[in-house]
Amino acid sequence: MDEILKVENVTKYYGSGSVVTKALDGISFTVGNGEFTAIMGASGSGKSTLLNVISTIDRVSAGNIFVEGKSLADMKESQLSKFRRDKLGFIFQEYNLLDTLTVGENIALPLNLKRTSLAKTNALVAKVTGVLGVREQLDKFPYELSGGERQRIACARAIITNPALVLADEPTGALDSRNSRILMQTFEMLNRDLKSTILMVTHDAVVGSYAERILFLKDGRIWSELNRGDRDRQTMYREILSVMAGLGGDVDVH
Amino acid sequence: MFTKLARRNVKRQLGNYLIYFITVSLTVAFMFAINNVIFSEQMQQNAESEQSLRGLLIFLTVFVACIVAFVLGYATSFMLRLRKREFGMYLTLGMTRRNILSIFVTETMLMCAAALTVGILLGLFMYQGMMAVMTRLMGAPIDFAAYSLKGLMLTVILVVAMFVLSSVTSAIYLRRVKIYDLIHGARKVERAVKHPVFWFVVMLLALAVMAVSLVIFRISVADTVENDGRGMGMLASIPLLAIGLVMFHIALARSIANMLLKNRTLCSRGTNTFTLRQLSGKLNSNSILAGVLSFLIGFAIIGANVSFTMKVSEREAIEISCPFDVMLNGFEPSDQGYVENDVKSPITIEEGEAIMEEYSGIKEKIEFKAYDTGDDVLRAYTPWTGERYEGVTDMVISQSDFNRLWEALGHEPVDVGDGFQIIPGASQVGEMDFTGAELGLGGKTYAYGGTITEDYARLISEYLLAVVPDEAVEGLPVEYENIAYDLEDDSYDGMAMQEELRYYGVADYGSGPVNIEMCDYDVKAAIIAERNQFMAILIIGALYIALVFVFMAIAILALKTLSGLSDDRHRYRLLSQLGTDEKEQKKTLFRQIFSFFFLPFILPTLLSFPVAYLCGDMMKQVGIMEGIGEVYLISTIITVSVVVIYALYFTATYLISKRNVIHR
Repeated sequence: MDEILKVENVTKYYGSGSVVTKALDGISFTVGNGEFTAIMGASGSGKSTLLNVISTIDRVSAGNIFVEGKSLADMKESQLSKFRRDKLGFIFQEYNLLDTLTVGENIALPLNLKRTSLAKTNALVAKVTGVLGVREQLDKFPYELSGGERQRIACARAIITNPALVLADEPTGALDSRNSRILMQTFEMLNRDLKSTILMVTHDAVVGSYAERILFLKDGRIWSELNRGDRDRQTMYREILSVMAGLGGDVDVH
Repeated sequence: MFTKLARRNVKRQLGNYLIYFITVSLTVAFMFAINNVIFSEQMQQNAESEQSLRGLLIFLTVFVACIVAFVLGYATSFMLRLRKREFGMYLTLGMTRRNILSIFVTETMLMCAAALTVGILLGLFMYQGMMAVMTRLMGAPIDFAAYSLKGLMLTVILVVAMFVLSSVTSAIYLRRVKIYDLIHGARKVERAVKHPVFWFVVMLLALAVMAVSLVIFRISVADTVENDGRGMGMLASIPLLAIGLVMFHIALARSIANMLLKNRTLCSRGTNTFTLRQLSGKLNSNSILAGVLSFLIGFAIIGANVSFTMKVSEREAIEISCPFDVMLNGFEPSDQGYVENDVKSPITIEEGEAIMEEYSGIKEKIEFKAYDTGDDVLRAYTPWTGERYEGVTDMVISQSDFNRLWEALGHEPVDVGDGFQIIPGASQVGEMDFTGAELGLGGKTYAYGGTITEDYARLISEYLLAVVPDEAVEGLPVEYENIAYDLEDDSYDGMAMQEELRYYGVADYGSGPVNIEMCDYDVKAAIIAERNQFMAILIIGALYIALVFVFMAIAILALKTLSGLSDDRHRYRLLSQLGTDEKEQKKTLFRQIFSFFFLPFILPTLLSFPVAYLCGDMMKQVGIMEGIGEVYLISTIITVSVVVIYALYFTATYLISKRNVIHR
């Protein structure tokens, strides 16, 4: 399997002077092409910080990150913008969509930013919305959709440029259990059928159970790793709970 | 504790409240300056004798108070909207609504106090500037203008009153609003606009309405001048223009952006869709406001243009009607009800000349006569015919008399040969065609030989005067016996001289004889001084109102733009995360703010062209041909000044927005 993401000895400090926090402490791991990986841990374990540095929203204090072999540390600001545009897809917990644009315009926006031709944009939007089953909503505005529907649209936007890596930060955080389940089934489908490489941060054991591989963080370090292998989701869920219990941190239990 | 919190909040958020601070300071400065003008000793003295001036000053005072109320109220509500989430957070932490209000009121009070101080300091200079312009317009020397305690007190009282009023309004709001609404706010959502093409047609109709209002204005001016109309059309054209402008902006909001959004090729490029949606949302929710602001700016430009046009017209009209420094007017027909035929001025010509010598010294004195032809041949070639002009006959002057006057005015003498020439007493006459006219005088016929167009001069109290050969006037009755004086000195007190030449006469307007003030002398310097005083106040008033309207419009636009910053901050963060670099974000933000800022401004700027044309046309209608070029130049200066002020405020707004919104 090709290596899509390589995190090499990454450390991240926040603050200055006498108030300095070490959010990440020499983390190293890789994510292969087509993998569905979750990062779990208690609050303050460094999950979101890790996602922020991978997504180039923040810079590392030490170490390096490679996406498709390209070093993020060597990139200037303008190159990082281009990189985010071409290689990454984002799904956040909330406020994913621009409220002033229609659903269709939101999905097409990454392609517009790449100056993709109109014909190709229309074709890709049709394809992605067909796969995700949201074609009837193209002319609606985000306020007209439920939370779950908005997250599906966010998924559509995240994959429309066929990014190397889809990053999801607590994607089910604002959803009820039914919509969370639907969203995770969508993630499964993206990973299985479209071969999307997904890196997801979550503190929800149920959500984590959908991933193939889980990295557990504690105090800015990888504390443990769980691979699904042949386990079913229920078994995976129980394993996650037991790891989290060992971590001694809080976790959402359903 | 809360005062400390308020003081800290103000200190930390000064940068964000810069526009609010500038807005309130400038409002106070404007108010202080105009209040000092209104309550200055000279103005109050003039108002005692001049009722129309008194009325104008009362209007200005009320107008200023309304402006202050509106601007301060709007600015304070902007501050409140900006801090809604923060106040919501305080409430969730356990503060009472009373605590929140006391924090907000304390902060606003600190800001207002600072703005009042800065505003008054600015106003000190603004007032001197206004007075300098006014005295210059009056033709008087510029001097330091004394400040008025009443003006200062009124300014302070108005600001304090408006502050109290806006605090009460804020208190009512903060008492009733739910914590949830403070924190989450009313989400602004984009609603799809139906039928943008229909609204585009409405937009075109609105343009037609505006064009019609300008046409009505022009027709009304012509009617007022030619037929002594009451000018109701001019008044009617103003609300029509306002309706057109508001309609235009409502239709624009619903048409242009949405029609452009249908252009898929355009929308597929970069952040165009985002920009158009941002603009569409902002325009939709502010269309009526944009229309009103557009009208205010348009009214400001029109008012300023018209006031300067009147000034230029006045000056040119005085030059035509008073070609000499002093003109002694002879007798006028008794049927005008002005003075009884045999009542002569108690001031003899010698006494009058002695007074003139006292003030300035007489350089040249030219006696001349105008004769009544007893016919109205020439009038038939003018619009001044019909029942209204019955009994009005043509006047002539001998060539030798005319040439003495003409040479005194610095022109070459004319030779009428065997015919006659017209000397226009108004520019309209210069444009009239008297081809074919013949005067029958003393048994001989004199043909029209042309109109003297080198200069216009009203030598008698009539617009139409024909220059005829000397022998043609033999036997004709003398209608006017005038003396024209050229004085030595240019700078003398014309008003005082005119006062000394006044006397009381008797007139009968149908309700019995009454004593009236009379003066047989037209003293040019006195006429200029009198008209200048009125014109100076009118122009300063018009310019002040124009400046306040423009300032108000751009302050509101700036505050509207800045109040949407928190939503924009989130949207631009999202754009950044999707891969929009800083340069593209800045470009997008610039286009978004620029379009919103300048859309209400475009039409009034374009309106300045037809307005300048109409002003020039107005001058032609009343017979003034000279000075039209100056009117066009003044119109350009006014428009450019408005553009510059607009650009400065826009730049400040854009820089503040950029600092707060662009995600790096």
